[in-house]
Amino acid sequence: MSGRAPRLGLALLQRAAQVEASLWRRFRFDGEVVCREALFERHLSLARKIARGEFRRRPAYGLDRSDFEQLAYGGLLEAIDRYDPLRGALFEAFARRRIRGAITDGIAKSSESAAHFSHRQRLENERLRSLSQGATSSDPIAALGVLASGLALGLLAENAARLLEQQASPELDAYESLAWRELQLNMLAEIEKLPSPERTVLQQHYLNGVDFAQIAELMGLSRGRISQLHHAGLMAVRERLRYKD
Amino acid sequence: MAQLADAETLEALARDVAAAPAGQISRIDALLLAFPDDARLHFLRGSILIGEGRPIEAHQSLSRAVALAPDFAIARFQLGFFQLTSGEAENALETWGRLDRLPDGHYLRKFVDGLRCLIRDDFKGAIEALREGIPLNQENPPLNRDMQLIIDQCLPLLNGGEREDSDTVSETAFILRQFSAREH
Repeated sequence: MSGRAPRLGLALLQRAAQVEASLWRRFRFDGEVVCREALFERHLSLARKIARGEFRRRPAYGLDRSDFEQLAYGGLLEAIDRYDPLRGALFEAFARRRIRGAITDGIAKSSESAAHFSHRQRLENERLRSLSQGATSSDPIAALGVLASGLALGLLAENAARLLEQQASPELDAYESLAWRELQLNMLAEIEKLPSPERTVLQQHYLNGVDFAQIAELMGLSRGRISQLHHAGLMAVRERLRYKD
Repeated sequence: MAQLADAETLEALARDVAAAPAGQISRIDALLLAFPDDARLHFLRGSILIGEGRPIEAHQSLSRAVALAPDFAIARFQLGFFQLTSGEAENALETWGRLDRLPDGHYLRKFVDGLRCLIRDDFKGAIEALREGIPLNQENPPLNRDMQLIIDQCLPLLNGGEREDSDTVSETAFILRQFSAREH
């Protein structure tokens, strides 16, 4: 998943087209679900790029850029599931049409609905519901503490993702101390060490900005299960950071 | 006992494939109808498909060749190499395992040793083993070119330098030019 670069010797030999074909073969013909996730990850930037372009050129009907991105991710997943790698057409060309179509459909649905609200609000509600799981009323202050630390860790992870994108500029701004940056990098490292399902959920959600519904679709699990994995993953990271030197 | 295409047919096919691989797939498919268990035909088919940029089908054909003839050394090497260039290092290592039964001085042993070093980022070991293998290989000159290209790309990395982006290895499909019934 994210951040795992192949070793230099392997990178020397790998051919992009063959690596892509290998993922399609193993996903489509050998049923390796993890390859579906790898394909999603591989083409995520295409979906994002199309979403940004469509956001600039279309009336948004109250949707924000993140909403466009979520629609694009849905289109990407649909494209991955429908693409036939043996037909010879390039996936990117095939996916472009699906992604644009998903955005068009999503905008149409959204403009019909009076009850839509922004992706950001949805995201925060999802996190809140997920982290409230298992909270007991016997000690409401302690429960609130757990909830607050969970939300804070989420924000930390989200900011750490931006930090990764800005690796090229090492200067710290006025609001970033070295210790804070180190904490963010530790957080990413701890997420990387989680077992596969929790890791995938946290990485897709915080690093790639994918919402629970799309992650559920990606992993073939229910939205409720994704919420549980999110909760369990963040709590595990919290414990590990607590006992870290 | 599996029925195999006769040597004359195979040599003629290999010659034509070497001269003009395009359009030979249908001819091989026709032969496979008569000799479905001939590993050499599957190997030849896989090699052409690599050259045609049809990696999924190529993998299927190379795998079939190795499954039918586990000691078909060049097919096993090529399948492993194909897996390696497809990002499947673990599968490549598993595929090559049986090549350890070849004699110590066999060029494929040396090439595999070199590529194993490369997987571990041991560039010095990779260069040494690949260089030892090249003079030992008299049957597949195109494969020597591939290995030399890998050596050339490893050399700048010996001192921790960055490699230059370039098209990595020449199409190993050229090996089909050297395709020979004696490999089986």
